[in-house]
Amino acid sequence: MQTVTIKPKKEMKISVEAENISPDKFAGKTEKEIQSLEAWVGNQKTTLGELFSIAVEGSAPAADTKIIMEGDFSRVKRIGEGMTSGLVIIYGNVDMHLGNKMSGGNISVKGNADSWAGREMKGGELIIEGNAGYYLGSGYRGETCGMRGGKITVLGNALDFVGEHMCGGEIIVKGNTGILPGLSNNGGKIVIEGNTSRPGSEMSKGTIIINGTVDEMMPVFKLEGNEDLGGVTYKKYTGDVIANGKGLLYVR
Amino acid sequence: MELIIKNGAVYDPVNGINGDKTDISIKDGKIVDKVSGKATVIDAGGRLVMAGGVDAHSHIAGAKVNVGRIMRPEDTRSGIKPRTKITRPYTGYTVPNVYAMGYRYAQMGYTTVFEAAQAIMKARHTHEELEEIPIIDKGALTLFGSNWPTMDFVREKDMDKLAAYVAWGLLASRGFGVKCVNPGGGEMWGFGKNVSGLDDVVPNFDVTPKEIIVSLMKANEMLGLPHSVHLHCNNLGKPGNYKTTLASMELANQVKASKDRQVLHVTHLTFNSWGGTNWGDFESKADEVANYLNNNSNVTGDMGQLIWGSATTMTADGPVQYANAKLLHAKWGNGDVELEDASGVVPIFYVKQISIHAIMWAIGLELALLTKDPYKMLLTTDHPNGGPFVNYPEVIALLMSNKKRQEEIKTLHEAVHKRTMIPGIERELDFSEIAIMTRAGTAKVLGLLDTKGNLGIGADADISIYDIKPDQIDPTVEHSKIKSAFSSAAYAIKDGQVVVKDGQITSTPQGRTYWVDAYVPEQDTSEMMKDIVKKFKNYYSMQLANYMVQDEYVTHAQVIKAGAIPVEVN
Repeated sequence: MQTVTIKPKKEMKISVEAENISPDKFAGKTEKEIQSLEAWVGNQKTTLGELFSIAVEGSAPAADTKIIMEGDFSRVKRIGEGMTSGLVIIYGNVDMHLGNKMSGGNISVKGNADSWAGREMKGGELIIEGNAGYYLGSGYRGETCGMRGGKITVLGNALDFVGEHMCGGEIIVKGNTGILPGLSNNGGKIVIEGNTSRPGSEMSKGTIIINGTVDEMMPVFKLEGNEDLGGVTYKKYTGDVIANGKGLLYVR
Repeated sequence: MELIIKNGAVYDPVNGINGDKTDISIKDGKIVDKVSGKATVIDAGGRLVMAGGVDAHSHIAGAKVNVGRIMRPEDTRSGIKPRTKITRPYTGYTVPNVYAMGYRYAQMGYTTVFEAAQAIMKARHTHEELEEIPIIDKGALTLFGSNWPTMDFVREKDMDKLAAYVAWGLLASRGFGVKCVNPGGGEMWGFGKNVSGLDDVVPNFDVTPKEIIVSLMKANEMLGLPHSVHLHCNNLGKPGNYKTTLASMELANQVKASKDRQVLHVTHLTFNSWGGTNWGDFESKADEVANYLNNNSNVTGDMGQLIWGSATTMTADGPVQYANAKLLHAKWGNGDVELEDASGVVPIFYVKQISIHAIMWAIGLELALLTKDPYKMLLTTDHPNGGPFVNYPEVIALLMSNKKRQEEIKTLHEAVHKRTMIPGIERELDFSEIAIMTRAGTAKVLGLLDTKGNLGIGADADISIYDIKPDQIDPTVEHSKIKSAFSSAAYAIKDGQVVVKDGQITSTPQGRTYWVDAYVPEQDTSEMMKDIVKKFKNYYSMQLANYMVQDEYVTHAQVIKAGAIPVEVN
């Protein structure tokens, strides 16, 4: 088991690109080696050691590497990018692109995560105990396939466009979401416990289940009747009929 | 500046050099018969030496390419390489930025590339991009197939005016040759329709695609342009289109070549050699097309080989792109160029396990292997339609090694066994044939063989050296070495200057832009201009004075004179 503890040295006003904070990059490395990994502050190249105090205990492969982050990381982007295994626990808020393209392992945020959390992720698990920003589990600009696998759980709320272009995997939001969750979906499953508006537009495949209220429905879904899911009766819709879609939308 | 390349295993099919150890002397950017003792020596050490690569059909600059970039930010993110002291940043894979276009071609040992389609009205944009592409020489073929003036003059059967229009269009666009895309179809797409064959009548113009193609070939030969008509056939992308392709090729018999080259170049035949009647019975008819080429000497073609993975289809064929976007449920970019043409851009992902893609992959290779004379079938991927040009080394390896092809076939959809001939074709090309398909042949088809595609005395000193020793390698077995050697040239020399060493860019000179200035009698031009002025007055959204590409846009021009030579009157 290798445990890496990271704390910010000072308040960060300019955003930091820290894709090197990942169990795959840290595994088997000494404190010094981790401190010398590259990071960018705005357009200035620097090292992780300049920005953070880093303490390492033990040495292990990525699967047995645990990263504990304590403090305010709300200007630190791309934490856990492309990680394949291991564990990241963040006691604080994080900036955009948390866990993007990750294919395994586990990230747990005790605070909020900004936009694009879990974008294009292929596997693993992402738990956000606070709120998530826009485009949770989506595809970045131009991408036709967003989240492809794995699981994202948000205990708070999420903003607009949850799971845009999603192709697989599962997103659960315990609170409310902004408009257009599951936009252009092509697979996967989204469960929203709270309220939302205009879900599932342009979807061609995939499933969306909404337990709260839907403020506004897009007029592109066909009502198929009622259906029981786990003891709860939902109205079942299919669509988007304009895109010739076979997506399923369940609304209470 | 003098340079001598010693001990190279030189393949120069034009001059009958077939792997012999020959020294190549270079002075002031040209190949000469000898240099002084002060010349810089490059010791090739028995490695493969060829002329710099020449590509006759690639979409490297202009409006469509840029639409592709705008539509595909995800593609831009896939090929990023930061700037260095010598190079500017690279981005993209199927639609790279302008700098990466030049660098990546040079790294493969290519030194001359022609953009395959520019509308006259969009030519300024094309030249703005060509100006920024480093290292390589380039040029652009100008679209004439659906232009209103073309169709008017064809209907009136006024060949003098048509020739004058072609000459003026090349001047207006600083273009190199005549491109003709789905003739008549571009116009009909303005009404949401398409032509379905060579004899369909284009409404409002009362001409057929057949008449357009034949008339443009005649005008092309009247002007004695270096390149022939460059045709993207009607019905591209529809099963059964090989019949249209063969019928189009037969039209070449109606016109006599003005030069020692073909009268018609039919491009990206992978997309035009399709049998069957629908996607269910879709099959390869590459054998029929190759057979025609084998029996006729006035037509050439290029492969347009399909490459697995991401591609961006882009063409002036608007209707076919609408059909593609519908079929693939993909992003669709559509363009209309007023009186001239249409265009469309659709991203695609070629998958080994999709039967249609597997068959298309086979068609490209069959065309190259079944056409006996490599001068008649050039190596292209119709970048980025079949796949990005950086995959040429993959295509070379496939053509040189049946073993590689058989390994690949094992991973493909089973349709490749039933509906193509590729599993049974054993031909393996040699270095000389590859040199023809990528250099000598392309230069000949373009009409540039005096300076490009060969290493004869007087030719441009564009030379590539690859890190393989032809006498010590068996390309049929060691295909991965072939691929990696062609991917990253040991040396690329452009106009006598080393631009690539060990696959790395070492200098970035600005290449030349080729365009053709064709002479026509004054009175033909003035008659023709009366019609053009009327078109601008009545229909165009811009003024004639703003239409012409000025010389400021072509700072390193290489003008080729053509046309009937005027009689000097004292």
